[in-house]
Amino acid sequence: MNRAPLIFLGIFFTVAFSWTGIVLTNHLMYADLQPVFDENEGRAFPQPLPGDALRGKEVYRDLGCMYCHSQQVRHPGFGTDIQRGWGERGSVARDYIHERRVYLGTMRTGPDLRNVGARFAGEGGRNWHIQHFYNPTEVSNVTLSNGRTYGSIMPPYRFLFRTQPIIGEPSPRSVQHLLPAKDQPPVGHEIVLTQRGEDLIAYLLALKDPPLYPEEARRVYVPPAQPDRGEPRPGTAPESTREVLQ
Amino acid sequence: MSATLTESLRPTATPELAKRVELSAIDASTRGPVLYFLGSSILWLILGTVFALIASIKMHAPEFLGDSEWLTWGRVRTAHLNAVAFGWSVNASFAVAIWLMARLARAEVRHAGMLTLAAVFWNVGLTIGIFGILAGDSTSIEWLEIPPYATPILFVAYALIGAWALITFRFGRSQHIYVSQWYILGALFWFPSIYSVAQVMLLLEPTRGTVQSLVNWWFAHNFIGLWLTPIGVGAIYYFLPKVLGKPIHSYYLSILGFWSLALFYNWAGVHHLIGGPVPVWVQTAGIAASFMMVVPVLVTAINHHLTMVGSFSALKYSPTLRFIVFGAVNYTLTSLVGSLASMRSFSEVVHFTQHTVAHAHHGLYSFFTMVMFGAVYYIVPRVTLKEWPSVKLISLHFWTVAIGNIAMIGALTIGGIEQGINMNVLPTNPDGTAGEPMAFLNVMAQTLKWLEWRTYSGILITVGHVAFAINFAWMLWQPRKPGITQPALFRNAPDMEVAR
Amino acid sequence: MPEWFLYFVAMPMAVLIVSSAVYALYWASKKGQLRNLEEGAKVIFDEEEPLGKPTDQTLNQPKPPKKKNR
Ligand code: HEC
Repeated sequence: MNRAPLIFLGIFFTVAFSWTGIVLTNHLMYADLQPVFDENEGRAFPQPLPGDALRGKEVYRDLGCMYCHSQQVRHPGFGTDIQRGWGERGSVARDYIHERRVYLGTMRTGPDLRNVGARFAGEGGRNWHIQHFYNPTEVSNVTLSNGRTYGSIMPPYRFLFRTQPIIGEPSPRSVQHLLPAKDQPPVGHEIVLTQRGEDLIAYLLALKDPPLYPEEARRVYVPPAQPDRGEPRPGTAPESTREVLQ
Repeated sequence: MSATLTESLRPTATPELAKRVELSAIDASTRGPVLYFLGSSILWLILGTVFALIASIKMHAPEFLGDSEWLTWGRVRTAHLNAVAFGWSVNASFAVAIWLMARLARAEVRHAGMLTLAAVFWNVGLTIGIFGILAGDSTSIEWLEIPPYATPILFVAYALIGAWALITFRFGRSQHIYVSQWYILGALFWFPSIYSVAQVMLLLEPTRGTVQSLVNWWFAHNFIGLWLTPIGVGAIYYFLPKVLGKPIHSYYLSILGFWSLALFYNWAGVHHLIGGPVPVWVQTAGIAASFMMVVPVLVTAINHHLTMVGSFSALKYSPTLRFIVFGAVNYTLTSLVGSLASMRSFSEVVHFTQHTVAHAHHGLYSFFTMVMFGAVYYIVPRVTLKEWPSVKLISLHFWTVAIGNIAMIGALTIGGIEQGINMNVLPTNPDGTAGEPMAFLNVMAQTLKWLEWRTYSGILITVGHVAFAINFAWMLWQPRKPGITQPALFRNAPDMEVAR
Repeated sequence: MPEWFLYFVAMPMAVLIVSSAVYALYWASKKGQLRNLEEGAKVIFDEEEPLGKPTDQTLNQPKPPKKKNR
């Protein structure tokens, strides 16, 4: 007796079923997610990344940063992301609508980077990134109660820098003044950040989600104060409204 | 081989008229493609292991090869994943699937050239892909990192194999479809469907925002659930009864297991996004499906166990059985851990930690790879008509990888839970209020010891892989003894405790 | 999720899918596809590799008796 047609039907059916449920329905549901216009700022949020940051995102992809860093903030009450200062609110689907590639990530060997642009900003932020990429182990380390010092396990990215002889004037992009004595180049040489390094840092400086979208903020329902959780922070969605936000 | 394509498309004989084809003739007809696939899979295994060791060492000693851009952690880790998933696992599953399909359909392999061509395409495509990853062309989409310029080559390979499998199945001489064939046919159909959908919806025409993550995890989890798992479970359903010489305890349960797997596994992938910016109802569906996976898993576990009962002494004699039983037990364990880890409260703690790495290796290594090792030990003597040259190397292989596995998965599971508690659970102050979370660098520092453990166990596993590769190469190398039509070790099994 | 979507797309789809699965099962049992299932377990054995004969004994072979030196 030949059961082949039945088996094939079932095999096809099961995968089609899950595709419809997981992929297609959500594809339809999110098709009309639009940026929200903020009248106070006169701009729509979220904003697409500028060009150099987009090139930097390619470096992020190429070097595999996402295997150690996530880009999603968990909602208050689920994990400790908010307490760690990784964001002021949980990430929502609208944050990602401009992205041609989404790096939510599944691993946090390093901290979440969704709002790293808020923690390291401007000239100081750029300098920190330069020092950190050159020598993560020395920039970030900790001494535990057992007396041992542990350096960061983020790999060094010294190949994003170049040592070159100084010809005429030193380059305005030279960075060795930021580096410790042991990393100084030989006399007559300077260390510069490559274009890829510049782009990557531009990306990190641009990574920052706007405060809660006004459209969604209006829909936030404020539950009666819960004694153990404290008052909901302004601008953050309480746990019970998670569904609305997503 | 002499048959032309048109000939093969015509059913040559009705089942009643079919002359029984000798198993040994079938085995011999699979020799070319099976050995080609297995040879390449073992090369990829060794290469993938080297990448793994580099990545593992770098994780606690970041300065190791620190100035090499090609071997930076993010790339070498990705090269490792693709080498073992698409190089070792897929090549090995092709070999095992081809051999099983030919045997179960009772048909000699026709068009072996087609399969060999497929093997060439697959491995050339993969070599380009892994080279591309090391050169910086990875897509950074988990499990789909192979750069888009290499994937069409993989698709050609796949199309050739799929067409071959259908021809073999359609014109086979067996009147029954054994449950292993169900699993293999399912896998052969499922894989290209999910792979092409994922390619289109992520790389060609990326969908909007976080829907990409849904497609991504629908694919990645189904690559394991609808490709590797059915091949592995299908192989267990063949080799376990075959080695023991007694039928599977309940055939009915095996089929129930198949359909429940097909129905629930599909949906489970979303549990990688719990708490993320995707609709809550899909997350809930994913959790429910992950939980329902307990059904096929327990059904399969009970069935395998009841088949083994009374024959445990056979483990002493049969390397195939050792590896397969190790794999079957771990299939149960890893699936139950997976169901547990998808619960919201558990996921809150262990998601984003080394626990995920432990779980991936538990499924892909302790279950799938061990089953494939067992299958290789059974298949190769039959297709080459030679003995395994060194029994010592087989034992060495088994014990090193078994102990290495337990050590690695144990360390990363416990380490992951510790990391998760440190990272994701707020301590309680003496007055009962929630305290501050542990500083991130402290979390990282406390995880280091477990990462070092992974390197030690990885070294042990590497030893096992080298032993395996040496034995395999040696076997191909040694001349065949004259006059042998069947490997002697399989022929004489007189004093083994015979099945009841 | 928009409400129309739930009522006019998702639910009809679910009903359709479940009922076709039920129908497929019914059809299968009527056609006798589900009878004699247990026999299927034995199809992997034949004269060459019969039922009741284990087939792999690579490890721990009994040592061949040593030739005595005279
Ligand atoms: C092996 C895992 C790993 C990889 C790969 C990795 N990182 Fe990190 N990263 C870490 C760890 C661990 C920390 C925390 C310690 C520290 O500050 O160095 C960190 C910290 C950071 C920080 C500081 C975040 C903060 O809030 O303190 C930034 C920014 C960063 N990484 C960016 C990157 C970028 C960009 C890449 C890719 C080029 C990358 N990382 C690759 C592990 C990694």
